[in-house]
Amino acid sequence: MARFSGSLVGLALGAGFLGGSLVIPLQTVAQKKPAQAPVATPTFEKDVAPIITKYCAGCHSGAQPSGGVLLTAGMTAAAVQKNPTAWSRVAARVGNQSMPPKGLPAPTEAQRRAMVAWIDKNLAGDCKLADPGKVTLRRLNREEYNNTVRDLMGVSIRPADDFPSDDVGYGFDNIGDVLSMSPLLMEKYLAASEKVVKAAIRIPKMKVQAVDGASLQYTTGAAPRDGAMLFPSNGTASYKFKVTAPGWYRIRLKLGEQHAGDEYSRVDLRLDRDKLTTFEVREPMGNPGNYDFPTKLTPGEYNIGATFINDFYRPPLNGQKALDRNVILTAMELIGPIEENQIQTAFQRKLIPSTPPKEGWDLAARTALSGFATKAYRRPVTTEELDRLLNVFKYGARSGDSFEVGMQLACQAVLCNPNFLFRVELDGASTASSRTLNPYEVASRLSYFLWSSMPDDTLFGLAKTGDILKPEVLAEQAKRMIQDPRSDALVENFATQWLQLRKLNNFEPDVKQFPAFNSELREAMFTETKLYFTDVMRSDRSITEFLDSKYTYVNEPLAKLYGIQGVTGRDFRKVSTEGTGRGGVITQASVLAITSNPTRTSPTKRGRWILEQILGTPPPPPPPGVPDLAEKHITEKMSVRQKLEEHRKNPTCAACHREMDALGFGFENFDPIGKFRTADGAAPIDASADLPGGRKFTGATQLKTILMGDKQLFARSFVEKLMTYAIGRGVDVQDRCFVDSVVKETAAGNYKFGEIVAKIVNSDPFKKRKVEGVGK
Amino acid sequence: MTENQIDRRRFLKGLGTLMALPALEGLAPLARAANAPENPVRMAFLFVPNGIDMRNWTPPSPGSLEITPLLEPLRGLKNDFSILTGLAQNNANALGDGPGDHARSTAAWLTGVHPKKTAGSDIKLGISADQVAALEIGKKTRFSSLELGCERGGNAGDCDSGYSCAYSSNISWRSENTPVAKEVNPRLVFERLFGNGSKSEQDESVARRDLFNKSILDFVMEDATSLKGRLGKRDQMKMEEYFQAVREIEKRVVAFENTAKLEAAAGIGKPKGIPSDFGEHIRLMGDMMILAFQADLTRVATFMFANDGSNRSYAQIGVSDGHHDISHHGRLADKLEKKKKIDTYHVEQLAYILGRMKAIKEGNGSMLDNTLLVYGAGISDGDAHNHNNLPILLAGRGGGLKAGQHYVFDNYTPMNNLFITMLDRVGVRVEKLGDSTGKLQGLF
Repeated sequence: MARFSGSLVGLALGAGFLGGSLVIPLQTVAQKKPAQAPVATPTFEKDVAPIITKYCAGCHSGAQPSGGVLLTAGMTAAAVQKNPTAWSRVAARVGNQSMPPKGLPAPTEAQRRAMVAWIDKNLAGDCKLADPGKVTLRRLNREEYNNTVRDLMGVSIRPADDFPSDDVGYGFDNIGDVLSMSPLLMEKYLAASEKVVKAAIRIPKMKVQAVDGASLQYTTGAAPRDGAMLFPSNGTASYKFKVTAPGWYRIRLKLGEQHAGDEYSRVDLRLDRDKLTTFEVREPMGNPGNYDFPTKLTPGEYNIGATFINDFYRPPLNGQKALDRNVILTAMELIGPIEENQIQTAFQRKLIPSTPPKEGWDLAARTALSGFATKAYRRPVTTEELDRLLNVFKYGARSGDSFEVGMQLACQAVLCNPNFLFRVELDGASTASSRTLNPYEVASRLSYFLWSSMPDDTLFGLAKTGDILKPEVLAEQAKRMIQDPRSDALVENFATQWLQLRKLNNFEPDVKQFPAFNSELREAMFTETKLYFTDVMRSDRSITEFLDSKYTYVNEPLAKLYGIQGVTGRDFRKVSTEGTGRGGVITQASVLAITSNPTRTSPTKRGRWILEQILGTPPPPPPPGVPDLAEKHITEKMSVRQKLEEHRKNPTCAACHREMDALGFGFENFDPIGKFRTADGAAPIDASADLPGGRKFTGATQLKTILMGDKQLFARSFVEKLMTYAIGRGVDVQDRCFVDSVVKETAAGNYKFGEIVAKIVNSDPFKKRKVEGVGK
Repeated sequence: MTENQIDRRRFLKGLGTLMALPALEGLAPLARAANAPENPVRMAFLFVPNGIDMRNWTPPSPGSLEITPLLEPLRGLKNDFSILTGLAQNNANALGDGPGDHARSTAAWLTGVHPKKTAGSDIKLGISADQVAALEIGKKTRFSSLELGCERGGNAGDCDSGYSCAYSSNISWRSENTPVAKEVNPRLVFERLFGNGSKSEQDESVARRDLFNKSILDFVMEDATSLKGRLGKRDQMKMEEYFQAVREIEKRVVAFENTAKLEAAAGIGKPKGIPSDFGEHIRLMGDMMILAFQADLTRVATFMFANDGSNRSYAQIGVSDGHHDISHHGRLADKLEKKKKIDTYHVEQLAYILGRMKAIKEGNGSMLDNTLLVYGAGISDGDAHNHNNLPILLAGRGGGLKAGQHYVFDNYTPMNNLFITMLDRVGVRVEKLGDSTGKLQGLF
């Protein structure tokens, strides 16, 4: 895998630009000379250009510059500022002494420091002047689609699991630029929307036994009139229904009253001898209402009766008219059996509280769809949009002769609409170079960042009032959302991609060598890291605990692998890792596995993982025409370590591999499935290494101490990654000052997770947007 | 024996019935446009990753084809394919962009275009040969093209040396910035071809569903049009992808209404999912491709056995190291031997696919006779990462191809010359595609 690596200097790539000042070694330098002499303000002419000419130009010039890095073309201060990505890399490589390659003439430490200082200073931007950047229109990715239909319509199916995978940019699959749309995907959207609406809106297809009022049996007090049953005084009307299939039924009485006195008419509903309930009739006689009562029935005959129980009459008195309370029963129906899958969903009951009569369809649909589309588009729906949507409803309702069919079709159309599938942020007519997002846009950014889903009612409410734009409200909402179970999505989507855990799915170690590995253990590895991340997130701990700590989560299979005693069963629990050499994500089995080959560990991959995921300073890719690995002094019999050491005798390779491999050697005590070992086969493990700049260490624990010693570097890398995920675009040099201020402002509190989130959601890249102007 | 294997057998049994019965010949016209030629020519492009062990691939001399060790599984099909030596995708070279050969070789393989190096923003490549064909001959079928693979696109952020995953996981490109995503689950391919849901549900509602879908598409187009005008420039490009996608679906909804009948006639079982055995997976995806050709649901297909740079281990044939690691063989005998095993394994799967196509009768010949199928890699030697002298196999006799030959072209001849030659034979006239310089002579 040696050839899969970071990105090339000289191209505008986002990841890792913050490597500007330095990995571990500069600190080493600083420690060696604690009393640094004050350096005169470095200048390009004095401190950069001559060094480049003297020490770098030998290789990095001409038509085929070494590593594709051409340094002699940009020999002015302005040129450097124009290509900050490339030059921040230069600063990183020079600063950590990996350039010039070992053995070649090199500048002094003071010269290095001056050069790095100049580059750093001239690349740092001013937040007030920096533009907030522009996020390309983001399509909901698979996870977001699943969660959004769940929260919008209460369905638990995950239709997007069948969608093609989303492309990844800058390490994450929620990046606007690379989320493309294809006919295949559109086809899936169409099919998925149908599945979703059918699950969310059920069409009643029930048998109805209807008897009009006048055909009912009746006692004194009741009498048929004009096809209905009238109750001038207390009395009962009943009918014997036949039930052939067991199940849930709905008894429906259509009743109205003539109001009199100080209470509504009351009616008892009886099933054979049993009184099911007593209820009030509130609809007027001229316009009776439906009174529905669900009941479970087995086959047989049932006598259903309705009894008017509170007749009231006051004769005319002192010129006042008589008061007479009467009830009318126009029909009695037994509806059912209601199949399990036809029982209305909660979403449906909310959307359509009761099916309106045909002449009221359009009005009812308009009201229901206005609310639905507003939620689905995550902003108020416009009148024109609603008009068009109503046409879809009418078409469906007419063809299906059903209100529900019309609603299904309209909802389906909403789910295929670009306003639903994309998170739209308009450029508007503004002539300013950037604008603050509107409250609805901010609500969506927040909810998709922390929940990978749509805003909830609280966020919608705050968007409506505009309060969500207030910094303290945003911070408070972020805090609330992290405590909500929906923030599991941040673990599922951010953490697994940041740590590259998804690779675990494809990790297949050689079963002969590692018989302990099976799918249960794989699952346990996943779970450990996710629980660990969740703990840091919900308990609002310092993100430095990702680097090192004294605890983790294990179940029995994992405890066995780790040699932790006394853990039984599949359930996970928090345990102390004191004395095991573990702690932090770096020594978790998941991470150790994904950075290994099927048959052996790969110090190079592990080192690269640390550089990229933890330190945010990906090594540059190997230069073109990588020399042949089969140099004659490398033989099959050599250990991995020996081979890599041979490899690094080549100065071109050594420049990067010295650091990468050294970091990786620190983890050699852990085999490809993360089990502790002191020997590899017959060969004892040597976990010592020598970092560029001269710092030596042995084993993961010492290495973690070194990493903890420069936690700001990790914090910066973490903020950069979380911000990339939050805003859905690559964080580039332009954003440097925003990242810097989040790091600076959270340092005092030792980089608490929640504080970092609060600062990110209040940063310009999150709350604002560069305006490009409406395209033609 | 896994559940999947049983399933596949049942599925193939279904196909067997299908092949034997005259019903099949009545099946195709259901979906075929009225003016279609009697035996349409299909194009397929099959991609394998990490180069090929060239020592055991290239026949010793031009002219009549000699079977080399890697071609051994195809011995029985010797007169149905040719080997093309000397072709190159020169735009897969670094050209100053540094490393990233795996992504570049994938991106350039069917486009002949040098991908713009980026890990996210503004991906830019060019239209691929299969999509040029799809634009023309794809008009006549329900699906203009079919994109298949066995590995999803990278879903963690580790694509090749600063190249977007879009480059390293797609060989098919609709336009310079739109890759055509591939399907990796045979069950989903099946559902896509033949629809989902129970059969009775389909029979009852296919007509209505098409009408409903049409009304949905009309509606979303109106809203999309209104939205597009208010978006920034780059966002408009995204919206344009949406428009294209909707138009493509509209075409299908309007033109074809017989899916249910088609499925009823075919009587085919649905695959259950992704088989755990890799070879099984490849063969099943191949079956899906053949099925789509057979029912004339499409005439253009691409199929990536794996993504380039794939580090899959092949324990089923005794190779437990990762493929990519092995491909960097450093000329070590042990690694070369393993590479040869993997390459042979891939060719065996190809032999299965070609054999199936040959067994399907069409008119006086077989499906293979009416197909132009390219098999090969975008890297020649996995260790050297070179993109010239690519391993390319051309199978079938579609368009009158002369098979059973070893053609040797000048070193660095653009592979796109092959594509424009093929396109020409299926009636798609293209003057230039990518870096093509002219047609290849002598193939037809």
